[in-house]
Amino acid sequence: MSSAAARPFPGELIRGLRSAAEPRSSFVSVRRLSVVSFPLAFQWFSWPKSRSPLRPVRSQQPQQQQQQQEEAVDLAVLPQGLREIISLFQSVSDPKAKYQQLLHYGGRLPPLDPRYKTEEHRVRGCVSQVWVRAFPDPGDPAAVRFEADSDSALTKGLAALLVLGLSGAPAPAIARIPPEFVHLLGLRQSLTPSRNNGFLNMLKLMQLKALQLYAQGGGDPATNSASGEEIASSDGSIGSVITEVPEGREANSGVNGNRVDHRPALTSIQEVSEVNLDAVDDISPAPTGGSGGRAARIRERLQRELLPLELELEDISYQHAGHAGVRGSSDGETHYNLRIVSKEFEGKTLVKRHRLVYDLLQEELQTGLHALSIVAKTPSEVGMK
Amino acid sequence: MGFVRNIPSTSTHHSLSDLVFPLVSQRLPHRRSLNTSPRAGGEGAQPLSAFASSTSSSTASSSPSLSSSQERTGSPSLGDLVRPDFPILHQDVNDFKLVYLDNAATSQKPFAVLKSLSEYYETYNSNVHRGIHYLSSKATDAYEQARVKVAAFVNASEPREIVFTRNATEAINLVAYSWGLSNIKSGDEIILSVAEHHSAIVPWQFVAQKTGAVLKFVELTTEEVPDIKQLKGLISNKTKIVVVHHVSNALGSLLPVDEIAHWAHAVGAKILVDACQSVPHMAVDVQELDADFLVASSHKMCGPTGVGFLYGKISLLSAMPPFLGGGEMIADVFEDYSTYAEPPSRFEAGTPAIGETIGLGAAIDYLSTVGMQRIHDYEKELASYLYDRLKAVPKVHIYGPAPTSTVHRAPLCSFNVENIHPTDIATLLDEQHGVAIRSGHHCAQLLHRRLGISSSARASLHFYNTKEEVDVFIEALKDTISFFSSYL
Repeated sequence: MSSAAARPFPGELIRGLRSAAEPRSSFVSVRRLSVVSFPLAFQWFSWPKSRSPLRPVRSQQPQQQQQQQEEAVDLAVLPQGLREIISLFQSVSDPKAKYQQLLHYGGRLPPLDPRYKTEEHRVRGCVSQVWVRAFPDPGDPAAVRFEADSDSALTKGLAALLVLGLSGAPAPAIARIPPEFVHLLGLRQSLTPSRNNGFLNMLKLMQLKALQLYAQGGGDPATNSASGEEIASSDGSIGSVITEVPEGREANSGVNGNRVDHRPALTSIQEVSEVNLDAVDDISPAPTGGSGGRAARIRERLQRELLPLELELEDISYQHAGHAGVRGSSDGETHYNLRIVSKEFEGKTLVKRHRLVYDLLQEELQTGLHALSIVAKTPSEVGMK
Repeated sequence: MGFVRNIPSTSTHHSLSDLVFPLVSQRLPHRRSLNTSPRAGGEGAQPLSAFASSTSSSTASSSPSLSSSQERTGSPSLGDLVRPDFPILHQDVNDFKLVYLDNAATSQKPFAVLKSLSEYYETYNSNVHRGIHYLSSKATDAYEQARVKVAAFVNASEPREIVFTRNATEAINLVAYSWGLSNIKSGDEIILSVAEHHSAIVPWQFVAQKTGAVLKFVELTTEEVPDIKQLKGLISNKTKIVVVHHVSNALGSLLPVDEIAHWAHAVGAKILVDACQSVPHMAVDVQELDADFLVASSHKMCGPTGVGFLYGKISLLSAMPPFLGGGEMIADVFEDYSTYAEPPSRFEAGTPAIGETIGLGAAIDYLSTVGMQRIHDYEKELASYLYDRLKAVPKVHIYGPAPTSTVHRAPLCSFNVENIHPTDIATLLDEQHGVAIRSGHHCAQLLHRRLGISSSARASLHFYNTKEEVDVFIEALKDTISFFSSYL
């Protein structure tokens, strides 16, 4: 049994990702398809062929929607620790062994100090008792650490998984984690919001507690405007999921809770792709606002490291100004479309290409770059030599 | 995998019922419980002695092996016989054959009930009591016929004593709000046991809060059964109503409701019997018990969800104010006030669950065809088999009384395994073995607190379960326990 500390082989990771996605035939680069729904998008996720790629997923059957969400889990949104855990689970195919793995995680979780086993830390509605505690990382004030405990071994395993996977990440990143990632583990875990859904309620409580810490600590409102708004709306829905409300309302907020993270992005599919269709080989100037020069920094970095033959960067933050605007900030510089053609992408899978770009833009991602829609091509792919 | 996965289609052992009703052919004898025929031997009041006679033979079947002590071979059990009638049982869950042992939560439905539902909606769905046209008449007739069937099933003295509700919970609320609020005053006492289902407790908390009445709780004995002596001692002239279960959904114990009713009536108090776990499993006679109110849910007795009933003595119902207001329960409506219909209509506001009620009627027909006595006898045997096999698993603790010659258990066991959380047990039983049991507090938090636990696992059987399924459950449980033991 591999230890949780081992780094996953990229191949395993990709295999795991592919097993959750549909075959690559739908990756054929049509300009519209390259604009995808989630912040920090991946191109490999596919639309069902029967419908227009521009239509939001809302109208689908719940099962199909769940499948869509399964396929659409954007690994880049997940903290590093969680990604490693996912790939570890995916390397184990026997269900019994997965449970053993889960129990193993649970066994590694240190017991929670009894003084934290209070109502304030209790996950509501669990069939077993679960407590969760969040505190700032002593070494890194922006990061959140967790502790948890449960009297049920399997629930403790899930809690351990969340503790290990989420600890050390900043609160906004934690808040963005979609519950659907649990499907990638291959455990049968329902995501239907209900008083009995321990996993979902655990995750929501951890997200809520992380955000509470973040609000207390005081993140920079300007650079974190967009994420701030998302936090506020996530906060609202997270709050209503975990409080004891009648079933119907819970379901609503649960669905909204899942959707809030997606909705602004979903509208961006249409908006952004429409813009893209119009602006073919046009480097649209960034709209006014944003004196930080982020666009220039991004360009400069990418130029230097990737020597692109084509580089188009478009600031589409204004499209998200709605929710950022509520915060009173219109600095923009949070959402971009990037199209880049470079020899550096040769021989690399789409995942690796995106990874490459993200790695180069780490600093931007840490300081308020909220979403990046990437089209990464090699010269031969676009007909150049 | 070392556990029994496949359930053989024919049983190699026999059931008690074969001795009682030797099977010559596969056809089930036609047994209809009619209002006119007196209850055979007062079944509702004599489970104790009935169990006593079968105990001696059932202990012989306590050995884990499938071979029975009976000499004959090849006779299928009642479970084997009726299983084909229940389509839902024949499926795979998580790649294992489904073993459904959560019947105390809800029971499965035979084709007869499903057929009656679709027949209703396909051929004569129409609103009842209102229309004049053909479909409406037919629907009304079938609906009222269901009422007659329920009345006969529990031996009410007339169909008017049956009020259809959404479920037993609503029925108890009906009594609490209607009878309770108009008959209970500050200082009055309401007696309950700590083993009651939340549905039997919470409505009376409302009443106590609104009226200033006091709730008194009967505690458990060391055998983990409500203390009847204490109950008798608690009844005083302040007591207005005693609310007790007939069969406990967690402890599996049966209470002597007829005796309790007697004590209650002696002080002028009423008794409300929660019969959710008894009506589906044995013949219940409200006149024999002399119950003032009795409630049950359709979905636990092979009927559809969405309907249940309240039995109430007509003298009581006639004096009760309405519960829900609306159409159907009125006589005349004016601006400021309305006059109300007679019971049962007075308590049936709005359009009822017509199809489902008719489905309940079909369920009662089916159960009557099988025969409640037969069901009861078979389940007694299942109950001891389950208990004996479960008790033999190391580290398992079963709650409730042990079956003896005088104490009778229902075919359910709430239990815990040392050091393993019941949710873990239930999860793996489901995921790795296809066995469906329940874990939690089974809507009995008071009880669990008294027992000193936060939750328990529960396996509950019905007459379509078999001993083979119990075997699968036990093997799966052992497998699950060893899986966790190696990690904890």
